[in-house]
Amino acid sequence: MTSSASTATPAKHAFDRRVEDVKSPKSDINALILDYLTMEGYPNAAANFSKEANLQPHQDTGSIQARQEIQNSIHGGNIQMAIETLNDLDPEILDEDKALHFALLRLQLVELIRSCNATGGDIAPALKFATEQLGPRAPTNPKFLEDLERTMALLLFPSDSLEPRLSALLHPDLRREVADKVNRAILERQSQRREAAIRQLVKMRVWAENTARDKGKSLPDRLDIGLNGEDADSPGRRSIHGENGHEPMITT
Amino acid sequence: MSGSFQHGSSGFQEPASPPTPSARATGRYPSPYSSVASAGAAANFYSHPSRTSVLNSAGDLTLGGSTGLGGLGLINNVNMEGAESGTDARAWRGGLPSFSRAFNMLMAAEAADGALQTEEEAFFVPSYLEGSTYVQKLEEAYRSKLQARESSRTSANGLSPNLTTFNPHQHPLPPGSHRGMSHTVIERPPVFEEDDSLAPLPSKWNKDDQWGGIEIQPDGLSIKYVGPKNQHDRDHEACAVRADHYMPAQCGIYYYEVQILSAKRDDATIGIGFSTKTATLSRPIGWEPEAWGYHGDDGRCFTGQNIGRHYGPRYNTGDVIGCGVNFRDNTAFFTKNGVKIGTAFHDVIRGKLHPAISLKKPGEYIRANFGQTPFVYNIDDLMREEREKVQKDIEATETSTLVPGMNETDLIQALVLQFLQHDGYVETARAFAEDMRVQKEALNIDPSVKVDGLNIRDDEDANNRQPILEGDIDRALKYTNAYYPHVLQDNEHVDFRLRCRRFIEMVRKAAQLNMLNDSKKSNGHTAEVAQDMDLDMNGSESTVWAALDADIVENSAELIELERSMLEYGQSLQAKYANDPRKEVAKALNEIWALVAYRNPLKEPQVSHLLDRKGRVAVAEELNSAILLSLGKSSRASLEKLYAQTSVLLEDLRQDGGEGAFVSVDDAMDDIPRSTQI
Repeated sequence: MTSSASTATPAKHAFDRRVEDVKSPKSDINALILDYLTMEGYPNAAANFSKEANLQPHQDTGSIQARQEIQNSIHGGNIQMAIETLNDLDPEILDEDKALHFALLRLQLVELIRSCNATGGDIAPALKFATEQLGPRAPTNPKFLEDLERTMALLLFPSDSLEPRLSALLHPDLRREVADKVNRAILERQSQRREAAIRQLVKMRVWAENTARDKGKSLPDRLDIGLNGEDADSPGRRSIHGENGHEPMITT
Repeated sequence: MSGSFQHGSSGFQEPASPPTPSARATGRYPSPYSSVASAGAAANFYSHPSRTSVLNSAGDLTLGGSTGLGGLGLINNVNMEGAESGTDARAWRGGLPSFSRAFNMLMAAEAADGALQTEEEAFFVPSYLEGSTYVQKLEEAYRSKLQARESSRTSANGLSPNLTTFNPHQHPLPPGSHRGMSHTVIERPPVFEEDDSLAPLPSKWNKDDQWGGIEIQPDGLSIKYVGPKNQHDRDHEACAVRADHYMPAQCGIYYYEVQILSAKRDDATIGIGFSTKTATLSRPIGWEPEAWGYHGDDGRCFTGQNIGRHYGPRYNTGDVIGCGVNFRDNTAFFTKNGVKIGTAFHDVIRGKLHPAISLKKPGEYIRANFGQTPFVYNIDDLMREEREKVQKDIEATETSTLVPGMNETDLIQALVLQFLQHDGYVETARAFAEDMRVQKEALNIDPSVKVDGLNIRDDEDANNRQPILEGDIDRALKYTNAYYPHVLQDNEHVDFRLRCRRFIEMVRKAAQLNMLNDSKKSNGHTAEVAQDMDLDMNGSESTVWAALDADIVENSAELIELERSMLEYGQSLQAKYANDPRKEVAKALNEIWALVAYRNPLKEPQVSHLLDRKGRVAVAEELNSAILLSLGKSSRASLEKLYAQTSVLLEDLRQDGGEGAFVSVDDAMDDIPRSTQI
């Protein structure tokens, strides 16, 4: 608990000085970026980056694109299309991963309910889909059954007065979550890895800070990463710009 | 003087009445005794014939014909060419690691001429620590120590053979440089700074930290009870000894083993454990405060008093006892013949804890293994489990606290985009922003809401910095002078480094042209040579490639012109900096003048590293940082800062043996397929 920052001068915390002295090797950072763009399905950015940073691509653009297409379909709510594309790519994935298949079908049901809510119309297609596709699968796993029941509840209540647990189903985050799951499943088949290394690094950073604080290590009150421009390193502190706060970015 | 045991191998390899090997011990490893007959290259340390054959029965050194040294498993991450045969021992005088203290002794004998520093310690890596950050640091420190010694020896010898062949007529020297002085400068790695935080591993028993009645054998690992020699030593309840170094907490877990070579049947009054330096050495390990021990005669474990508590089985001749300290939870455990007994202590203090043992009765004889050879207990698996535990904790970490209001996916997108813009990857940033826009649009559920795309501004600064990042020094200088003239004025050291680099680039180009011409004159195998030369594919030097088929005459003209401008530039550098008082400036200048001394610096190991492309990138990055700072931006992207913060945080968590010992930033990086630079 001895703090080296207890000097009278408002000097930089010893920790900050050490951080400045640590190299973050360009080769490592560049590898992290290319890995991320490849794994999370940004084919154009990945191709551009291998060119700009002089790095050999980790995967060919085609297979990144295939994953991106599936992700885009799911993000856009077009689950049928996503399932077909996925089956074209590798039919065994859904055959073997029942939970993933169910998650996709459940999302498809949510999308059907959403469209009938929007048009104020017929709930028959949603009911039909639920009984034909999800009903037979639900008994195989208690979790499936619970998910199905909760989804069906969406039909019982008006969409503008749902309890939070239900309205969460209609939030785009569910699409994102399912798209991530599908992407990870494909990646695991292709590369034995489920997620980009940068995610592990970020987790490691947060974990390390939490653990260090728990142990009473001498740290500055706040460890800023400078993402929103409030970087203590830079002479002119900047205000927060927009949602992501990058300085040289303009939203039109 | 000599004890009741003769020196030599056979005495301990085949005891008169081999004890029945523990049934459990036969599981993973062959029992130390039953394996003697079948000891192959992979046999464990305790039974390996070559282990003890260094000394023959007469006590003379025998080295020739010793077999299978390479099989001892000591060679970890250290390049040990020729280590297979013991007859190469002479080569080790160059400072390479030796295998055991026995060899060190041999080397010490040889070192009577003073060529060898006898305090040199053998370098080894215990298997369970392989790949850990702590060991990586040890290795780095060891390598730079060797290099420092190597280069001081070279310079002591005066000119290296390469330098003596220097022909003054081939390459004129830059004016003002002094022949015979500046040209003998050899790049020296930074002298290894003794780092307090980098404690070495215990490697042998410390003869200066023992009680008189025991004798450390020449291998530094074996201890024999010989009885008190004088009145002072007689006043004791046992005789203890501690290892040379304390167990570094940065290991996370520290482990060592002791084999009981001999003890009185059913009464092995031996204590195995660890203690701080304050514990007296005249009592059995564990009876004193700040000492912890497990005793062979009663199977009890002790700390701070002579009462102890029931702990494990008794142990005796032939048994291998392991002692482990877990610095993460302050516990200690012991193993017997490869089986973990359980936690012995929960109250291990943070302090400088040395491995320690105590012997009490004549005939007692033990040998320790501090990781020089494979352990009987599978400590590697225990280590792996600890690492996985921490990994799981990390996996489960909620990251939304890092930047309030951002979930992990948004945060990472922002980090990546900011990095791309910060480092001037404009095209990638655009493509990424477009991909993000498509994604956002798809995720947008309410069609009445219009999704805004991110318009990556044609960042003028990024464009200006591009040639700098590409490492084209000529253009970097031109652009910097055009757009950021004050940066070079304000950052004089960057200016100097850029100029030096520009000179180096000229030398490099001239050397490549030279090689090309030579190869053409001697034979036509240009393609072969081109590979040899590590030609730069970075575009800027495509002229070299184009020149492959060009006329030699044309090349020669180009070369002459290039060398002329190179010298001119060198002169201007010399004129500007010759009287600079700074040491580092003089050193850098001497270094680059040395390049001119060689007909082909690309092939001279002493200087070729100066021409490495990495150096160019380093200069470019330094300039880039200076420009960014001058623009009021952080010199680092958030992702880079996050990376550096993580390293420092882990370092802090490692220092006292906490979780950080079981994790490193590399764990994340290791998953990425290694993609080579094109």
